[in-house]
Amino acid sequence: MFHMRNQFFAGMVSVLAMAGAAQAEDIYKIGISAGLTGYAATVDRAWSDGVQTAVDVLNAKGGIMGRKLEVVVEDNRSNPQEAVTVYRKMVSSDGVNIFSSGCVSAGNAAAAPMVAKSEIPMILCSILPKQERDVVWAFTTLPPAGFEIEKRFEYLRDKTQIRKVGVLHDPTPYALLQKDVAEKVAEKFGIEVVAVEAYKQDDADLSVQLSKMQAAGAGAVMKIGLGGTTLTAAKNLKQLGSDMLLLTSLEDLAVFKPVAEVLGDKFFFVASPSQVFEAYPDGPLKQAIGQFLQPWREKFGDRDPNWASRGWDSIMLTAAAIEKGQSFEGPAVRENLEKITGFQGTTGTYDFAPDKHQGISTNPFVVAQIIDGQVRIAQ
Amino acid sequence: MVSEQASPRSRHFASAGIWVLAALIVGYALVFGGYIATIVAFALIYGVFVSGLNIFMGLTAQVSFGQSAFAAIGGYTSAVLTTTYEWAPLPGMLAGIVFALLFALVIGFPTLRLKGHYLAMATLAIGLITYEIAVEWESVTQGYMGISGIPPLGIGPFEAISDRQILATLSVIVVIVAFAVTRIRKSRLGRAFAAVAGSEEAAGALGINVARYKLTSFLLAAGLASIAGSLFVHVVGYVSPEVFGMHMVVLAFTMVYIGGLGTVAGPVIGALIVSLLPELFRGMRDSQDLAYGITLILILIYAPKGLAGLAQSFDARRGK
Repeated sequence: MFHMRNQFFAGMVSVLAMAGAAQAEDIYKIGISAGLTGYAATVDRAWSDGVQTAVDVLNAKGGIMGRKLEVVVEDNRSNPQEAVTVYRKMVSSDGVNIFSSGCVSAGNAAAAPMVAKSEIPMILCSILPKQERDVVWAFTTLPPAGFEIEKRFEYLRDKTQIRKVGVLHDPTPYALLQKDVAEKVAEKFGIEVVAVEAYKQDDADLSVQLSKMQAAGAGAVMKIGLGGTTLTAAKNLKQLGSDMLLLTSLEDLAVFKPVAEVLGDKFFFVASPSQVFEAYPDGPLKQAIGQFLQPWREKFGDRDPNWASRGWDSIMLTAAAIEKGQSFEGPAVRENLEKITGFQGTTGTYDFAPDKHQGISTNPFVVAQIIDGQVRIAQ
Repeated sequence: MVSEQASPRSRHFASAGIWVLAALIVGYALVFGGYIATIVAFALIYGVFVSGLNIFMGLTAQVSFGQSAFAAIGGYTSAVLTTTYEWAPLPGMLAGIVFALLFALVIGFPTLRLKGHYLAMATLAIGLITYEIAVEWESVTQGYMGISGIPPLGIGPFEAISDRQILATLSVIVVIVAFAVTRIRKSRLGRAFAAVAGSEEAAGALGINVARYKLTSFLLAAGLASIAGSLFVHVVGYVSPEVFGMHMVVLAFTMVYIGGLGTVAGPVIGALIVSLLPELFRGMRDSQDLAYGITLILILIYAPKGLAGLAQSFDARRGK
């Protein structure tokens, strides 16, 4: 009897262990290295919530090819060294299958060689790593740096008489790329960049830079960079009594509302389609955004959907690659991500290729304004 | 009841225990690998950095908030020379040390005339200025874009690529640094540092050239910081200015005080404990920082001289 009971318990333990192993095997893990604290917190928390929203929606439908998804989020504190540590943790301890990581470019670049060595694909919010061998495993949802610039130049050319602008940028990698593009393409739009000025994200006064631009004859300020400095620039423009327009890059709408109160109709910003959803023309893009916005708004109300929508896209791209190749294996997912073309995301259409890991190829942005508290596409 | 006199060998039992604990942590990482190996590798690099800080702060009783500047010089020199000019890692590291020492020499002469809070503020400024240079000198440092593709540590055909190779290499370097610090402490130089630490006026009255010894201590600290910076960029393969920001300074101070200021083992065990503690609390998510902070405070309340200092006190009590 005693012997039989032992056998019974041993059998139970084996069955439970096997069930546990099978369950672990059945879960497809998505790792997020995000700057939940530090300078990237606003953006990366939104990205992370967008990823989780997509995972919840897919899991409610039974997962991908019957396999449930699980998100593992680690805070890299917006710091490259911490990013290497958390990536390493997620690779070796959590056994993640794919990374859908946030906007800390330096952190993603620092960890990229190790992730590539582990043969785990990464879909990023940030710019791609610089080394070719690392880019093989990295994809980005970030639109090319030129898009935000070109949209603003287009607006100035088509809707205003302004032909001289000043470029005001922070020192982050994406801002530097945009600054370079602005200098390069301005002529194509018949616009002259008369001043290029830099600032730091924690600068409390930008009067000097703005005064130089005004003295150089600029009719508009093209501001490139995130954070509270947009409000600082707006206040400084008002204090200076300047007539220059302020055209800023993509940002959380919560940041823009007080800026609009200061500058009124002299303030313009680049908006993603999800930020101007109601005003955006009907079509496949609006339909894709609608699919995301419904669960997003149920969970987060009127919180800015921009970065979250790209986090959502990263998961939908993952699902598409897995279903295309009928495989969850890292190398297969990577190969099939490269084969994705014409994928309608919430930020635009993604067209990847072996030599093109930055998928968005058509400019989805619009120039917008906030008038009477409402976000509108600028006319 | 007769009190038992501890034998000379058992007199250092607790202090030896600190080294054993450090060896066990490194050994665990070596055997089991995984991400703990990455954390221990970073901790060992910090061990080198903090050992330098300890020479200046612990042995010589000076204050420097600017050691990150020398780590940045070492790190960026290694990164630029190995990626742009295709130097091997070792000559790159040596060049970094030379640049860091020259920089320390140039700024040390005027700065070390200051004392106390003034010295602290001046060194803080050095750290901040170097950080700004790393951000702004884009043609060399590539600013926030950072420099990637930095080759791994290696000499000749040997390259430390795997976790175990990296850990083994760093462990050897830390042992060499600890041995060197031990020798310095016991040497004429170390005694001069101790005299300066006790009272600069008294040391001067005894014929010790205070300015020269303060500068020597500063140079040694700068050299070790430079080595740590180079090690970091070769282990990670990437460098950007954020690595050498205020975070590095705060972390190094925490390590040196938790480990034990003025001891040889303190910086090493401090670096290991301070690096591993957040990982112990990682599962606590949003409360992680709170638990980490409380633990550090508790350690400092119950071991105000750090863990190595606590061990020394324990040994001293046993030896009476």
